[in-house]
Amino acid sequence: MRQAFAKHIGVLCKRDRKIVFLTGDLGFNAFENLRETIGDRFINAGVAEHNMVGVAAGLSTSGFKPWIYSIAPFTTIKVLEELRNDVCLANRNVKIVGLGGGFDYGLAGPTHHIIQDVSLMLSLPNMTVLAPGFQEDIRHIIKTANKMLSPVYIRLTKAQPLDYKIPVYKPIRRLTTGNKKTIIVFGSIIVEALCAINQIKKNSEIDLWLVSQLPIKFPDTMINSIKKTRKLIIIEEHQKHGGLGSAISDLLISRQLSLKFFRHIYITGYKSHHYGSRQFHLKENKLDSQSIFSILKKN
Amino acid sequence: MNKKKLQYIFREKIIKIAYQAQSSYAHIGSCLSCIDILIEVFLNQLKKGDKFVLSKGHAALALYVILNHQKKLSDNDLNTYLQENTLLGIHPSSLMPHDIPLATGSLGHGLSFSAGMALSHKMKNQKKDGHVYCLLSDGECNEGAVWEAALFSSRYKLDNLIAIIDKNRIQAFDRIEEALGDAASPDKWLSFGFDVHECDGHALDGLKSVFNAAKNTQKGKPHMIIAHTCRGKGMKSIEDDIKSNYVVIDDKLLKQSLAEIKEL
Repeated sequence: MRQAFAKHIGVLCKRDRKIVFLTGDLGFNAFENLRETIGDRFINAGVAEHNMVGVAAGLSTSGFKPWIYSIAPFTTIKVLEELRNDVCLANRNVKIVGLGGGFDYGLAGPTHHIIQDVSLMLSLPNMTVLAPGFQEDIRHIIKTANKMLSPVYIRLTKAQPLDYKIPVYKPIRRLTTGNKKTIIVFGSIIVEALCAINQIKKNSEIDLWLVSQLPIKFPDTMINSIKKTRKLIIIEEHQKHGGLGSAISDLLISRQLSLKFFRHIYITGYKSHHYGSRQFHLKENKLDSQSIFSILKKN
Repeated sequence: MNKKKLQYIFREKIIKIAYQAQSSYAHIGSCLSCIDILIEVFLNQLKKGDKFVLSKGHAALALYVILNHQKKLSDNDLNTYLQENTLLGIHPSSLMPHDIPLATGSLGHGLSFSAGMALSHKMKNQKKDGHVYCLLSDGECNEGAVWEAALFSSRYKLDNLIAIIDKNRIQAFDRIEEALGDAASPDKWLSFGFDVHECDGHALDGLKSVFNAAKNTQKGKPHMIIAHTCRGKGMKSIEDDIKSNYVVIDDKLLKQSLAEIKEL
């Protein structure tokens, strides 16, 4: 989604002259045009992420809208305290873009993956997390983030082409309607989930929801779906705690919803400690479409 | 083996393995910029009890090739570089703690870790403090953590710490001057209390004498060797070019490069 992001942020920066775009030395073959177009409002802050967050927080005090950009671990876990103290405590208008949430950076290995970013970001005051499901969502996500006057973390992931008519972006979307199982998915792992669901003969059984924003008030339609099917599967490319799974668990308890079947499919970690593509890691964590399919088939 | 030959065979291996991987993530430019430093460190400097940390983890392929030469990594393993289910990813893993003490890749971690190891060698009161070598990139010195490590190393008089900067003047998206300026200037490191040396990072003779000089002078100070290098050194078409770290080696570039590296 890097190229799509570069294109759409370019359009937005032209329209909104308060945006200042800071990159942590990332963007070769992606941000050359953006830099050309917005001139001084494009800053290569270098490989100096702590400083980049502080500078962004400072810029926001004069009404600028700073956006910071780097590989996802370097705009989240690396700079967590700056985000908390400098950005979030005072609810400053800083947008944080992390490229490659989950296993997106594949062979670059665990130092370049981030599997607890949603959890970390949701632990900060005033923070909203946005996670596009599809490349087509990027334009809407960027606009949505820019309209918010508070800190937003965008979990940008790589795009996969998909033979599927994508419904227009909403923070929560129902993608298929069914009456036997409710599946709730966070962000771009939706592509694996859809591939799995497409292999199921009676896919009219499945009520499929895509969540792209947290925290959020879950709609009654979704809660009614859980009440009706009482079979719930949650899928996220994230560790067990602190992401969508935790948010839905909270919902179940607060609404006192009882279930016949519950399965949370999440990242368990680095089993073999070997390196591989995103698909390799998804498979090792049973998050690839085949593994999801076998869970759906059995249950 | 004569020096020219050494410089050739390691470059040849790096280029061939990168070609085999057909990946744009081998960071070939950075590997060729630091390979001569690695040759000198691994073949002449590292003694029993010494440690080496590749803080600029994106040049992992250069390290893998050296470890393979030293029979610490098998040919079979090396041939799985960037393949599915490999030990050898774009950045070094934590699976070989003796030869690769730290899983680097996120910049700015290596010097602090090396300082810790150097201090541990001193605290263990070893007769001969084991040296710790740490290779950084000039772009990496943008990171604030590097300067925290610099203060610490100086305060604790870590004269068994030998930091080296591969100063090729290019970082991921810009030349260093366009990003944050020259963080690898001798005066900065001098002012942080380091014993500073400079050399041509591609001349093996010069590298050897500068390492020896560092080890033999100014007791009580950590050492910094600023090695002036060229990204992509040897592959003429990508030398000193930002794109050198993003290039995929195709048949034509392979043939051309293997000829060019003979004339280093």
